[in-house]
Amino acid sequence: MPKAQRIPMARQPSAVATAKGQVQPGPKWAGRAVATAARNLARSGWLLRGATGAAALVPVVALAGILAVLAERAWPAIVYNGLGFFTHVAWDPGSSYGNPVRTGGALHQAGATFGALPLILGTLGSSAIAIVVAVPVSVGAALVVVEKLPPRMANVLGLFLEVLAGIPSVVFGLWGALSFGPLIARDLAPLVARHVPDLPVLNFFRGSTGNGEGLLTAGLVLAVMVVPIVASTTRDLLRQVPALPKEGARALGLSDWEVSRLVSLPWARSGIIGASLLGLARALGETMAVAMVSGAFLGANPSNIYLPFTTIAATIVSQLDSAFTDGTGFYVRALAEAALVLAVITLVANVAARLLVRKAGGVALPVGRGI
Amino acid sequence: MSPALASTPTTPAQWPEAVDLTTRPVALRTCDLTLGFGSRTVLQGVNLGFPKGTVTALIGPTGSGKTTLLRSLNRMNDKVPKHWHQGDVLLDGQSIFAPGVQLMALRRRVGMVFQRPNPFPMSIADNVLAGVKAHRIASRQHHKAIVKARLSEVGLLDAVSDRLGSSPFTLSGGQQQLLCLARALAVGPDVLLLDEPTSSLDPISTEHIESLLRALVPALTIVIVTHNLAQARRVADQTAFFYQGRLVEAAPTARLFEEPSEPETARYVSGRMG
Ligand SMILES: Nc1ncnc2c1ncn2[C@@H]1O[C@H](COP(=O)(O)OP(=O)(O)OP(=O)(O)O)[C@@H](O)[C@H]1O
Ligand SMILES: [Mg+2]
Repeated sequence: MPKAQRIPMARQPSAVATAKGQVQPGPKWAGRAVATAARNLARSGWLLRGATGAAALVPVVALAGILAVLAERAWPAIVYNGLGFFTHVAWDPGSSYGNPVRTGGALHQAGATFGALPLILGTLGSSAIAIVVAVPVSVGAALVVVEKLPPRMANVLGLFLEVLAGIPSVVFGLWGALSFGPLIARDLAPLVARHVPDLPVLNFFRGSTGNGEGLLTAGLVLAVMVVPIVASTTRDLLRQVPALPKEGARALGLSDWEVSRLVSLPWARSGIIGASLLGLARALGETMAVAMVSGAFLGANPSNIYLPFTTIAATIVSQLDSAFTDGTGFYVRALAEAALVLAVITLVANVAARLLVRKAGGVALPVGRGI
Repeated sequence: MSPALASTPTTPAQWPEAVDLTTRPVALRTCDLTLGFGSRTVLQGVNLGFPKGTVTALIGPTGSGKTTLLRSLNRMNDKVPKHWHQGDVLLDGQSIFAPGVQLMALRRRVGMVFQRPNPFPMSIADNVLAGVKAHRIASRQHHKAIVKARLSEVGLLDAVSDRLGSSPFTLSGGQQQLLCLARALAVGPDVLLLDEPTSSLDPISTEHIESLLRALVPALTIVIVTHNLAQARRVADQTAFFYQGRLVEAAPTARLFEEPSEPETARYVSGRMG
């Protein structure tokens, strides 16, 4: 009854106004209409919408621009190197004493060969070590922080994680080169290398242990840098696991570990996967720290996990200066191609992370600081 | 017939047969149990026995300490910050707070179903098996049979038999609660604690769970917290009335409702309080 009355009452005034506007068109009405239109336009927020729309385009344009510039620069190298870029190990910018050679329109030094396989494998390998070490450590630490520690200690530990996440990578690199690497070379590596069984499949973990600059050291330094990212995200995810199913599991007589394994971790699983992929993106792109502990070994794959190697990022940063001295400019093009490969690898990892995190729903993840 | 009785929806024939509570052995007993959190005392000197194979209903106004008592019967309060207790709780004559008592073993014997359904993030079948696996109650080849038996015991099997491997979160609230009941029963507890298990369910699911509880005694000793006085009358052999952290009165259900000996009980059960 009241509903039936209200509808016509709301309609009447507007009906009258339209009728008036049509019947009496005049300067007074027109002026008012323009003013109203202007006000409506202002109220519709076109300015804000336009500005935010433009702002939203910035990252898109930036990403597309960077990839386009890299691709444009790298194109002659992509053509010249072909698939060999992904399969060859030799890395030689060519002799700058001879005369430049022209192959298919691209000018380069005589004997230039760019096989990026060791760089790509080094990038993937060091990141894999970092993730394999960092994810279990991070998840374990997050479980302890959320389930075991009193709140105040948990907060203090969280503060440490944030500080750790904010330390510049060059500091990690210096620590790795001065202290952590030598420690591994002196104590850890010989111990492991001696006790790994003498099987052909495990040869990569045996043999000479080097001086501390190498794949294992880089992977572990990266792990230390990845832990804060994965641990703090996992901690936030675990805090959001509802108390009710956890209590139910406890009331069923399950141990603390079983409660975590059966309830908390599955609840947070896809988010943890997403955080791990963000950590992976960070490790893939990390440059300075890796360049400082890698041993910068170009031109071949390391014969075991303890020996010097290099990654795409470390190679770019260490070779750029000499690349600029290549009069043909071809070395820079090869580095641009390597950068493009790294960008694509990182991009794939990031997109995978986003998709997985969206599937998990819930907390926003800290933005990866990769590349 | 008292007015309160006449207003209950069920017929007297559905009420529990009068059990002689005094002749039964006691499964669980609280002895002068006083407990609280920090400076707050929540329960004050509670002495209450739960006879074997019977249903005891805990009733009382909100905040009177029913949940707190229930949770201390399988030591779920242990982890609550600043929790303390005096007095004792005896399970078959043994203190549940004794130093040798294993918490996990205690909770296997004294199970719990919560006010809101709380399935685990795993398949329906794995939910039923969670406790069975953890306590290594049966070997792997019996798991399937256990799932079927427990789900049919709570009357859920027909509804879920074609999706035992799928997520429990696709079930209705009532079905989820039945699943939680099946999960609690699967470890073979001696005592089952239920905290308002039907408060989020519709009347039909409620009736189903109530008749299930009646079917589970005398094999099981059941303690149920409820705000629904009619429910207490329908399912409970004994009813205990709590008020402001004290046990005011515990008696066979019919007597507590018809001839309460304390004035507060009389006021509460006649609907003039709370
Ligand atoms: N963890 C806690 N810390 C402090 N006080 C608590 C805690 N848990 C319960 N209490 C207090 O204990 C009292 C009893 O709570 P309890 O949950 O046992 O009441 P209840 O009888 O179950 O009430 P309801 O019928 O509303 O569920 C309340 O006053 C509550 O504030
Ligand atoms: Mg309660």
